[in-house]
Amino acid sequence: MTNNSLADPVTTAPAPKHRPPQPPANGGSRLGAAVRRLLPKSYLILVLIAIVIVGYYVSEDFLTVRNAENVIAAASIVAVLAVGQFFVILTGGIDLSVGSTMAMSTVIVALTLQTGMDAGLSVALTLGSCAVAGFINGMLVVWLRIPPFIATLAMMSAIKGFSYIIQSTSLIQILNTSFIDAFSRGTTLGIRNPVLIFLVVMIVAALVAKFSTFGRSLYAIGGNPEAARLSGLPVARNLLITYTLSGLLAGLAGLIAAAQLQQGSSLIGVGYELDAIAAVVVGGASLMGGKGDPISAVIGVFVLATIINIMNLVGISSEPQLVIKGAVIVIAVFLSSAGGVQRISAFFQKFGRRRAPALR
Amino acid sequence: MTLPAPGQAEQVRRIPDAPDELRLDGITKSYLGVQALKGVSFTVKRGSIHALAGQNGAGKSTLVKILSGAETPDGGEIHLGGQRVRFREPTDAQHAGIHTIYQELSLVPSLSVAENIFLGQLPKAGRTVVDWRQMQVEAREALARVGFDLDVRRPVASFSVAEQQAVELAKALHKDARVLLLDEPTSTLPQPDVEKLFTVLRSLAEQGVTLLYISHRMDELYSLCDSVTVLRDGRNTADLATADTKPSDVVTAMVGKSLEGSIADAALRGERSPRLGAGPSDEVLMSVSGLSEEGFVDDVSFELRRGEVLGISGLIGSGQSELAGLLAGARRKTAGRIRLAGRDVSLAAPRDAIRRGIGLLPQDRKAQGFIPEMGVAGNITLASLPMFSRLSIIDGAKERRVATEMVARLGMKVSSVNQPMKTLSGGTQQKGILARWLARSSQLLICDEPTRGVDVGAKEDMYELLREFARGGGTVIISSSEITEAMMCDRVLVLARGRVVAEFDHDEIDPSGATLVSRFA
Repeated sequence: MTNNSLADPVTTAPAPKHRPPQPPANGGSRLGAAVRRLLPKSYLILVLIAIVIVGYYVSEDFLTVRNAENVIAAASIVAVLAVGQFFVILTGGIDLSVGSTMAMSTVIVALTLQTGMDAGLSVALTLGSCAVAGFINGMLVVWLRIPPFIATLAMMSAIKGFSYIIQSTSLIQILNTSFIDAFSRGTTLGIRNPVLIFLVVMIVAALVAKFSTFGRSLYAIGGNPEAARLSGLPVARNLLITYTLSGLLAGLAGLIAAAQLQQGSSLIGVGYELDAIAAVVVGGASLMGGKGDPISAVIGVFVLATIINIMNLVGISSEPQLVIKGAVIVIAVFLSSAGGVQRISAFFQKFGRRRAPALR
Repeated sequence: MTLPAPGQAEQVRRIPDAPDELRLDGITKSYLGVQALKGVSFTVKRGSIHALAGQNGAGKSTLVKILSGAETPDGGEIHLGGQRVRFREPTDAQHAGIHTIYQELSLVPSLSVAENIFLGQLPKAGRTVVDWRQMQVEAREALARVGFDLDVRRPVASFSVAEQQAVELAKALHKDARVLLLDEPTSTLPQPDVEKLFTVLRSLAEQGVTLLYISHRMDELYSLCDSVTVLRDGRNTADLATADTKPSDVVTAMVGKSLEGSIADAALRGERSPRLGAGPSDEVLMSVSGLSEEGFVDDVSFELRRGEVLGISGLIGSGQSELAGLLAGARRKTAGRIRLAGRDVSLAAPRDAIRRGIGLLPQDRKAQGFIPEMGVAGNITLASLPMFSRLSIIDGAKERRVATEMVARLGMKVSSVNQPMKTLSGGTQQKGILARWLARSSQLLICDEPTRGVDVGAKEDMYELLREFARGGGTVIISSSEITEAMMCDRVLVLARGRVVAEFDHDEIDPSGATLVSRFA
């Protein structure tokens, strides 16, 4: 799967001198090269295609527009979360609070819309609150030096409690059609809005990760925080931005969820942080930081979502689904980050060598 | 460090009739298609001290891994005491009697000395209860064998590096080691402790333990070892007896060409090393007064002139590394002031120092120097990203161009500027970090042990690059515990326990460096 997308595959030998100079870049080829560099390593896409082929054979309902729409609609929420989670994991951290933040987002937007507030203002207020939640995560990590796991675990609980308190009733209906259209039902340029949202988020994130100084510094911070500090990178500032961004994107995911369910409730989003983390890791990122890319993280979301969808279609009940999902995560991570492919091939080589004398 | 030449009598300790203890026959090993060992064969006699020399990448560490059981060879045979042995994992090697003492010690810092020595086989009174008294008695005996007397109940972390090394030796001996592999054991030891270690090692050899000693330091090999096997490109290119050869023979075999006229050659022949600096100007670049960091650096004052190469020397742990960190903004001072070009500066963070043209080559490359997964180009531009970007968007073409220039200028061996930094050799990595500061147009380079873990050839390159930097008007501070390195500087401050105890001009130091060493404490 994807190693660090900034680097060539590992070469152990001192290889020949420099590469031939890059071809002269005119506009077209430069764009082509940029697109090619953005694409994650093909391995993960092959896995996704294989899953789709399996789906096609086991269920005739699988490759239908309606089903595809369902999968993508469900996946778009986790995809937005996964992008935010990716940046946090890239720095070597983790954000366990995004599920709670997402729930808070649905509650705040539902409450404000209930008061008759303008949808735009309500959305801005909601996103702002979620960004503040993320910023608090960042402050806990950067200034109080609390390990990210603990800081965001505490925030997960605190934000959840806070949403309960402001919600005060069981759930709040959302009736504002312009909000529901904007985040769930509506289409722009023929693409459904939630799909458009996650596509835009993903592409912007990929560009930022690859081509901006901010993205570069996140790879550096995750790869070696001390070297990043000694190189004068603004480590504290960029960590704060990263956690704030994760909170903001969790808020955005919450808006999509609220529009789809047409309600706000603090019960929404339970366990979503783990789905997002699983997707990022399946996408080849390392929890140690410094590796991966956002597009792979989103593909990771779709790998998991598609498998769940296929199991739904063939009628596997939800409990065995969880078991299979767990197995898929283990296999995917073993094959990618844990160097499984090399280890398996090494095993077979060794096995072959041991057998060889007996055959003679 | 260069020592006054040891007496010949000490090094000739022939044991012609001793049986072969360890014999390697055609050992090969490749990783992912790259052949690290292409057939290594040599023999070590029982009770002898045998050195293994070679540049980085010659295959030394692969060989150590194979002998310690961490890797299995693709081909070839290992014989121990005449018996063929096969190791599938490190415990196999240990059971056979081959113990390895790595550069980074493998002790558990929070456990007591006795527990560390007995780790994995605590003596029991009855079935389940640990017999603490017996353990302590035996631990003390094991330590006595290596000439140390420590409180075995105290945690390992509370002892010095030399004492920890003794614990590691005692641990191996306690497990009946026949062959001891020592991988650069002196790299972290102050000089008096090196002498003590050598005494211990010689006495172990006399007791019949066979030692395989790996080091970059020729003076050590020739004062301690009986014979040397030199590896180059995965083969043993020379097997020499130290009694009949001289250090330059080993170096020549290591690099595969004569080093005549080089700095290493000069150092080996005991000549004074050529200066790095082109001579300081009259302009004071930096003036430091009363600089302190509690517990490390104590009231240090000096003036640094533009174009000067200033050495800060002392035993490891004398505060020279911390002083370098303070001057680069990597550490916080507790007192004192630093003036740069006549103005007071706080240097509260690396950013602050970098903005003022100061660059740091940290001592621990892996932990502090580079981003392992990131490509060479990314590592080079890391400190000057604003210069390689507009509106926060990185100009990839410019980055590649500058990185390619740097790679060529510094002679870095890389396959492309995108090659991940972690796959490069130590010397190339160090050049990459130097390139980071050259790309930033730094005025003052602070080098903390600039050639540690760097092989002979790359060492020469580093000195040449620093000389070139100084010739171009740059100023350099070299913090080093290597005397030969200190002797190349225009001026040397000697530190002991964080204080400046002596200051020498280049010409005041005698060719052997004894003037310097005499002030070490």
